[in-house]
Amino acid sequence: MDNDVILSVRDLRVSFRAYGGIVQAVRGVSFDLHRGETLAIVGESGSGKSVSTKAVMGILPPNAFIEEGSILYAGEDLTKADESRMHEIRGHRIGLVFQDPLSALNPIMKVGKQIMEVLVRRGMNKKDARSRALELMRDVGIPEPERRIEQYPFQFSGGMRQRIVIAIALAGDPEILICDEPTTALDVTVQAKILELINTIKEQRNLSVIFITHDLGVVAQMADRIAVMYAGKIVETGTAEEIFFEPAHPYTWALLSSMPDLETRERLTAIPGAPPNMIAPPAGDAFAARNRYALAIDFKREPPLFRLSETHLAATWLLHPSAPKVEMPRELKERIRRMKEAGSRA
Amino acid sequence: MFKYVLGRLGAMLLTLFLVMTLSFWVIRLMPMTIFENPEVSPEVQRRLEDRMHLHEPMIVQYYYFIEGIVTRGDFGTSVKIRPGLAVFDIIRERIPPTMLLNFFSLFISIPLGIIAGTIAALRRNTWADNVISFLIVIFISVPSFVFASLLQYVFAFAVPLFPTLYNAQAPTVWAAFHSMVLPIVALSLNPIATIARYLRGELIETLSSEYMLLARTKGLTQKEATWRHAFRNSLVPIANTIIPLITGIMGGSLVIEKIFAVPGEGGLLVDSILGGDHFLTVALLIFYSFISLVTIFVVDVSYGIIDPRIRIGGGK
Repeated sequence: MDNDVILSVRDLRVSFRAYGGIVQAVRGVSFDLHRGETLAIVGESGSGKSVSTKAVMGILPPNAFIEEGSILYAGEDLTKADESRMHEIRGHRIGLVFQDPLSALNPIMKVGKQIMEVLVRRGMNKKDARSRALELMRDVGIPEPERRIEQYPFQFSGGMRQRIVIAIALAGDPEILICDEPTTALDVTVQAKILELINTIKEQRNLSVIFITHDLGVVAQMADRIAVMYAGKIVETGTAEEIFFEPAHPYTWALLSSMPDLETRERLTAIPGAPPNMIAPPAGDAFAARNRYALAIDFKREPPLFRLSETHLAATWLLHPSAPKVEMPRELKERIRRMKEAGSRA
Repeated sequence: MFKYVLGRLGAMLLTLFLVMTLSFWVIRLMPMTIFENPEVSPEVQRRLEDRMHLHEPMIVQYYYFIEGIVTRGDFGTSVKIRPGLAVFDIIRERIPPTMLLNFFSLFISIPLGIIAGTIAALRRNTWADNVISFLIVIFISVPSFVFASLLQYVFAFAVPLFPTLYNAQAPTVWAAFHSMVLPIVALSLNPIATIARYLRGELIETLSSEYMLLARTKGLTQKEATWRHAFRNSLVPIANTIIPLITGIMGGSLVIEKIFAVPGEGGLLVDSILGGDHFLTVALLIFYSFISLVTIFVVDVSYGIIDPRIRIGGGK
């Protein structure tokens, strides 16, 4: 099983130097990515999910630094790799799909050239690079690639632009594809198609995918395993079924309850408050202040990860043997029952 | 692209016509006595005034003015500065020194400004950036005639490397250029600083853009990514600042030409306004507008070359 791990992040801590002080964006994150699986990292804005993946790519902004931890790719610690080694890794081993395809593409360079740039860098001549780029554009479902290759990003629709970004990410033939909220900036109808595309290319190329999102609805169709992040930590991780059907952390409950459900007329439950200030993260469980199931200990001591099954871990004191027995909210239970039904019907 | 150029050309001609009309009315409605020479008999005066249509209503004079320009390229006759000479010839005679001054100043400002701005942006918050940013503030806020006098004092008087004034009778081209160095420098400091300031801001922004990040995830080095993706994108808005820059240089040269005694259009314009030679003033205003419009046209077209969004015109 462990041979299958392609990327392993251990105790990663990333901080930013800011005016107010040091912002602890990622505070000890560990996860494994297995070959051929899709790992979804879910969390709200500022939970540190994008920062973690930027650290993996080695493209953190200049004011960010990795305090400690390791990122093992094929036995090599990327946090210690030098810039020239990272050039090899980036694009070639690990590809990244950005959130906003409009700002991710150079507005005044033809899309073909932007795809070919990767290939030419890999030593391909122009002619081969061009035919390869056309092939890639076909692979990601762009009609009439011969005509489109000469066009500029502004001549493409949002969905088509995202396909170009995916083609760029694939151009280096990566093993790992990191998708950083790839559908957030797109129309809902286009979203589904892009997700489908990511799933298809993942199958075809046997990619391992890290899929970052704040939208659990999107995750449901994509993920094999899910890691829920809050305030720079993974608070719960498990297989997709475990997270959706047996969530254990109150934050996961809250996320699931805040998903819109078209089948019922029940009101959406918002999560009260805002994520904590990461310059001075609160002691104990960072979610405690917004958590209506918080225990006294949550404000004092940080909960460890409790193991629920081989794959399912959650960091909440509610799982401690001497904690009071707290059930997830009734509406959520009801909702999960419906999801299960829908799942078994499908 | 062709359509774009044609459109710009049309807009340019229309603007020129509006400028012609406006400067004619504004200047010519001012009171004017043509002949202050008592030796000219009233009879001759009257005949000359008739020939210039000065007794007709303004609207008719305007018609003759436009007609003269359109059909004969005749902008009128000077009455005070060089009485009797066609203003067109007076202006033409003075073009070389003005062109030399303005265009050299423009040609050195653009590359120097780009270099300074790039260094400041890439070495952001280091001593190099601080020095450049400090100089930018000085050069933008202190007017060019102050630098002109300062340059004259330092490089012509204290350390006599260059002549104090422009030498119109210079025996060689080199000597003429040599005496032009100080005015060119005085005129260039402000535009260099303007370009550097804009480019610095622009480049800092593009350097932190998402497509720079994407370029780096492709495996490009920071250098390659900066050159291929950030730099060209930063030049797009810079092209826009070049238009006010050109008009700024031309405005500055009015004063600089006076200080360094350059026999160019700038000094002529000042003289013609002070002397009340309205025909010459109007023609010079048109001349200046024409030069501005041509440069704006060139900038607009090159803007289209740099930025496909403008060339293709599809918009967002």
